[in-house]
Amino acid sequence: MAGFLSVLRRLYLSVYNWAVFVGWLQVLVLAVKTLKESGHEQVYSAVERPLQLSQTAAVLETQNHILVSSLVISWSITEIIRYSFFGMKEALGFAPSWLLWLRYSTFLVLYPTGITSEVGLIYIALPYIKNSEKYCIRMPNKWNFSFDYYYAAILALGIYVPGSPHMYGYMLAQRKRALSKSKRE
Amino acid sequence: MKVTVVSRSGREVVKGGLELNDSATAADLQQAIHKRTKKFYPSRQRLTLPLPPGLKEKPVVLHYRKALKSYVEENSDSITVVLKDLGPQVSYRTLFFWEYVGPLFLYPVFYFFPVYRYFGYKGERIIHPGQTYALYYWCFHYFKRIMETFFVHRFSHATSPLSNVFRNCAYYWSFGSYIAYYVNHPLYTPVSDLQMKIGFGFGLLCQISNFYCHVLLRNLRSPDGNGGYQIPRGFLFNIVTCANYTTEIYQWLGFNIATQTVAGYVFLVVATSIMTNWALAKHRRLKKLFDGKDGRPKYPRRWVILPPFL
Repeated sequence: MAGFLSVLRRLYLSVYNWAVFVGWLQVLVLAVKTLKESGHEQVYSAVERPLQLSQTAAVLETQNHILVSSLVISWSITEIIRYSFFGMKEALGFAPSWLLWLRYSTFLVLYPTGITSEVGLIYIALPYIKNSEKYCIRMPNKWNFSFDYYYAAILALGIYVPGSPHMYGYMLAQRKRALSKSKRE
Repeated sequence: MKVTVVSRSGREVVKGGLELNDSATAADLQQAIHKRTKKFYPSRQRLTLPLPPGLKEKPVVLHYRKALKSYVEENSDSITVVLKDLGPQVSYRTLFFWEYVGPLFLYPVFYFFPVYRYFGYKGERIIHPGQTYALYYWCFHYFKRIMETFFVHRFSHATSPLSNVFRNCAYYWSFGSYIAYYVNHPLYTPVSDLQMKIGFGFGLLCQISNFYCHVLLRNLRSPDGNGGYQIPRGFLFNIVTCANYTTEIYQWLGFNIATQTVAGYVFLVVATSIMTNWALAKHRRLKKLFDGKDGRPKYPRRWVILPPFL
């Protein structure tokens, strides 16, 4: 019974990871194609569907901005590599060394581009967020609760300040560990 | 006895080693190391026996009162210990004081001062009785905690890393302000009179029980500060291992029933999960220590923290 369940788990995880991989691959292909044919203004509407399937994306007024393209491309390349890596491990029991290398090296460029895009888009969206009152909960109410999307967004921006160097440093340490380990094997 | 002191990476920390007399204890060794390296006061040192490389077990920590001799072979006259620098330390009393003093003083700021003007709320504020009782309840709670820190608790470890001061203060001070903001808000909606009375009444009962639990725990340890673990007994401890955490959790529940804010309930959930982790570790530790073998009592069947769930 235990053996059967663990096989089932591996099968599920393989299918899941490869499916998400395909989703992000679609996003990447569509994004690059639209970028070349129609320009960055059209990228968001082109990728909206597959992007929503792969990741819930907030609907921003800033859909026409170039940072949307850089965000989508950074995310999709990262996720394609990550999910195929997991998918390989689940399905085959190992991942090829070039994939391991990609997984622990592409972040060197994609973290800065992705983080810059995220921060940039939040910043640009701030005036729209403030005016639209979207997702805001006001007092008075029975549960004495309030939420202000505008201030939450500013808090999020604040978290990026210590958060980004921390994440990047963590990935650097992970890279050192993973790549030296594979060299020893 | 010759003592070699190395770091976890194998580098010698005390050049040339130390020479101590044969009856020296780990505490004596800590003093000797401190004499050689001023930076390493005893509470900053963690001394363990070296582990063979690759072994995943936890290293044996030298107990400060045990003789060094007890950690090596009969006829050996040398020992190698591994020193880990625990970083700058503060006493638990210092840590707890700074954690609790934040909520004690920050909460009344929201009650007494026209803070909400700066959030854009103009005009007069009507203060509901429930908000006043909440102020008394909250401040009593943190005042009690500070008193217990200095006069009741007996700590198993003398110190805690300095970094915990920042981390813990951030937790208590942020949540304190977050809750105080909502309970004292000009647009605060109070609960029914009955609900408020039930909440505060129940909470107060739990705070008193909590105090009694702390007294019982204190009496398990001797005043000369060796810490150590005993099987807690009496009052609620007969049914649940961490009755002190249980009463603390229910006490916050009482406060939330009386004040009804999402912020308060979020705090309750987070605090409960933190205390549950501690309770599980303590319960496990006590069960392992009191296994019923070699004349030791066996730890009785008890709830961990929250009957009937855990």
